[in-house]
Amino acid sequence: MMHLRVASVFLCAMLAIVVACERLPGAPKASIPVVVGSPSWTLATFNTNCRGCHSQGAEGAALPLVNPGYWKIANDDQITKVIALGQGVSMPGYLDENGGPFSADEIDALVKGMRSMWGGEPHDGNPVLPGTISPTLVVGDAVAGALVFESACANCHGANGPAGSVTDPMYLRLISDQGLWSAVVYGRSELGSPPWNSPMPNHPNGLTPTEVADVVSWLATKRTQ
Amino acid sequence: MNDNANTPEKKNGCAGCGCGEGNGAPTSRSDARRGFMFKLGAGLLGIGGALAAIPIVGYVLGPARTRYKNEWVDLGALSKFPGGQTRFATFLNPIRQPTDGDSAKTACWVRCIESGKFQVFAINCAHLGCPVHWFEQSKLFMCPCHGGVYYQDGSRAAGPPPRGLFEYKWKVEGGKLLIDAGRLPGLEESA
Amino acid sequence: MILARILALAKIPIEWIELRTGAIAFSKPMLFHHVPRSAKWWYVFGSATLMFFTIQIVTGVCLGTMYAPSAAQAWESLRYIDEDVPFGWMLRALHGWSSTAMVVMMVIHMLQVFLHGSFKFPRELNWITGVFLLLTVLALAFTGQVMRWDQDAYWGLGIGAAIVDRVPIFGDQMRGLLLGGPIIGGETLNRFFALHVFILPGAAIALVGVHMTLIIKNGISEMPKPGAVVVPSTYRKEFEERMEKTGVPFFPDAVQRDMVFCGTCLIILIILAASFGPFGPGGMPDPTLIDTNPRPDYPFMWIFGAVSLLPPASETAIMLITPAIGVLILIAVPFLSNSGERAPSRRPGMVLVAVFVVMAIVALTYEGVTSPWSPVMDAWSSLATPAQFIKGRTPLQVQGAVVFQSVQCRNCHELGGFGGKRGPALDEISTRLSPDQLVRQIQQGGGNMPAFGKNLNSAQMSALVAFLGTLRPENEPDSKIPGANLPLPTSMSPPDRGVLTR
Repeated sequence: MMHLRVASVFLCAMLAIVVACERLPGAPKASIPVVVGSPSWTLATFNTNCRGCHSQGAEGAALPLVNPGYWKIANDDQITKVIALGQGVSMPGYLDENGGPFSADEIDALVKGMRSMWGGEPHDGNPVLPGTISPTLVVGDAVAGALVFESACANCHGANGPAGSVTDPMYLRLISDQGLWSAVVYGRSELGSPPWNSPMPNHPNGLTPTEVADVVSWLATKRTQ
Repeated sequence: MNDNANTPEKKNGCAGCGCGEGNGAPTSRSDARRGFMFKLGAGLLGIGGALAAIPIVGYVLGPARTRYKNEWVDLGALSKFPGGQTRFATFLNPIRQPTDGDSAKTACWVRCIESGKFQVFAINCAHLGCPVHWFEQSKLFMCPCHGGVYYQDGSRAAGPPPRGLFEYKWKVEGGKLLIDAGRLPGLEESA
Repeated sequence: MILARILALAKIPIEWIELRTGAIAFSKPMLFHHVPRSAKWWYVFGSATLMFFTIQIVTGVCLGTMYAPSAAQAWESLRYIDEDVPFGWMLRALHGWSSTAMVVMMVIHMLQVFLHGSFKFPRELNWITGVFLLLTVLALAFTGQVMRWDQDAYWGLGIGAAIVDRVPIFGDQMRGLLLGGPIIGGETLNRFFALHVFILPGAAIALVGVHMTLIIKNGISEMPKPGAVVVPSTYRKEFEERMEKTGVPFFPDAVQRDMVFCGTCLIILIILAASFGPFGPGGMPDPTLIDTNPRPDYPFMWIFGAVSLLPPASETAIMLITPAIGVLILIAVPFLSNSGERAPSRRPGMVLVAVFVVMAIVALTYEGVTSPWSPVMDAWSSLATPAQFIKGRTPLQVQGAVVFQSVQCRNCHELGGFGGKRGPALDEISTRLSPDQLVRQIQQGGGNMPAFGKNLNSAQMSALVAFLGTLRPENEPDSKIPGANLPLPTSMSPPDRGVLTR
């Protein structure tokens, strides 16, 4: 009787292995090709290639991309161009023609994927709605910009300001005009730098788009001094 | 087979010499004759064995001979390699066999120093052959296996490699960059 | 009654066969030879090795019916076996895990024989055939890894080829012999296939045969007792007398421990295979896909670790000569000492040697697995600068962090516990290096760091040094090293509001 019981348990175990073989934890998962443009592809691509500098919150040294505020203003064509060609000293071009790892289609898919994950509707920036700002750099008046800087920015960002100087030529040589514009417009709230339309000294309603252009133009002139 | 059932015969030494007279051979053969047969058998086997060994050894050792010749391989139009940049390029190895599949593909790094002047580096680290990766920002090649690092001109920067990256000979023909490629680069290659 | 009649009937063919083959007479001494009563659980590892070898043959032959030994199709055929063939993945998993288990059991068996001095007279040849079995099994493991024909296999062959290539004078020819041609390709896989399924298993079976015959001939050694010395002139006679008096038959007395241990091992093997599945195949064997991180299987990880730690000046000599010396020493073991004490307590030097070798291999394996010398190839673009190193920094310092990431410092240097381990972690670098020293180190390199001098402009350098200057423990405001308190490239003096510098 005892033997019979042991044998039946044994048989059941064998049967279980046969039936469950494809469901055992060691069974390899069927290889599913990663589809370019799928959410998992977008996230993996971003995590491997972008996250080092463009992360979220206070993390990462450059402009965070996991940030709805960014995607509200930014323009897809502009982002595509920057990813493909690179920008300034530190952002390399990611298009294969420029030595990068991606084809033009992959960059398009990446931008679309990031927008759908973090941004909402695409924004072509035209016409500019009241209270919004052009998503691309506009050349302003450097002389007017000097006054804007002194009244609105210098308190914190002046040569000896508590947040650190933005007029340091070494800093300015490392950041493109578009980069300066992005820094003014998007700010980094988590690090204590407010976006363009938040209250600032002498500018309780923030800056106007013209003032942003002016101050960026003035900062650009400081680069070569 | 029948020899086994016929054990007394074994003593005559005929089972081993392979001569057809083993079965039921009379035991009264003279010693001289037996000695001759044995020598003849040994000689025949030796000659036959040597003849058979030539193709076998030749077949096995064949790959050791350096009968393979590199060929000029087209890496594509010069416009793919802008001045001052280092770019990834791939080609089908001219020395390939029908069964190679993907392994006949080969990669290399093309550095255009200035228009018309190139350095073409093998993908293989000079340490132990792993694939090096180019980093444009730091202008370094890095190897994922044992941490070999090279400068943009291929010279050794850090890590265990005993020398700089292997380089292919190159030439420009008809607006295209050609390299002299084929065998896996190794230490006998001149720098 | 019926049973007895069946047994009587069965006897007829058995006797018929025995008369013509002598199989029972042949195997009787193997089954019933006397083994020492003291041979207890220490003696099971050899049997377990043999059992895993049997599994390798059975599963290997099965896999051979589906595997396509062609460089163009091998990888695809493995995916097919894994995903479409019923029990295909399970067989691959068994073959892979059993291979690892065989290596482990063999090494334990060897250590036991070494520590117990069982290799002494008259068992010198048992040991030497064992050494050749070890080499054969390791060769089987390496060629088995090549059978996967994935990126690890491809670049592992590249490493093997590069090592062989360093042989003086004949390096090129030997590499050609190893690869079956001037490149790693179709002929390479077929060459290793022939080794893996014909030559090496054949050699292993022959060696196992000799090894077992020698065991029957010389008997199993007794547990070592301090003071019970081996005297070659009298050992065999005394051993045989002791066996006659106190020995027990191998079957069924000693074999029961082997059966319990092997059964347990077998069940563990099946659980491992079912839980963790087959090994690989990894990425497609396309050598133009260079985003790969080639690593060997575990039995060779220590060699992988060793070759990166060798001094470059002498590594060729060490790589080529050490294995030969190692094998010669292993073969020489029974000749260096084939008599005298067997007990480990009376051979402390030998115990130390064994402990040292095991520790060295474990340490090198650990180094190989962690590979601290390898740059993390995507650290610069995938590991974000931690928030604590960004918060409260000036714009120049934050730009310095951008430079830090973008010129791939992170590939070799950790920040906040993540990044490459090739260079030192930089979380507290400003307590160790002054700005001047930082500039010099970055510009000129040294200490296995490449020189960045030509690749960084002055702005990048100032920003980078400004950023590195902020890396210190949170509660430690200033550096303790002289010169570190000089002003950083960006002013950190107290605010002077409203002044616009032009």
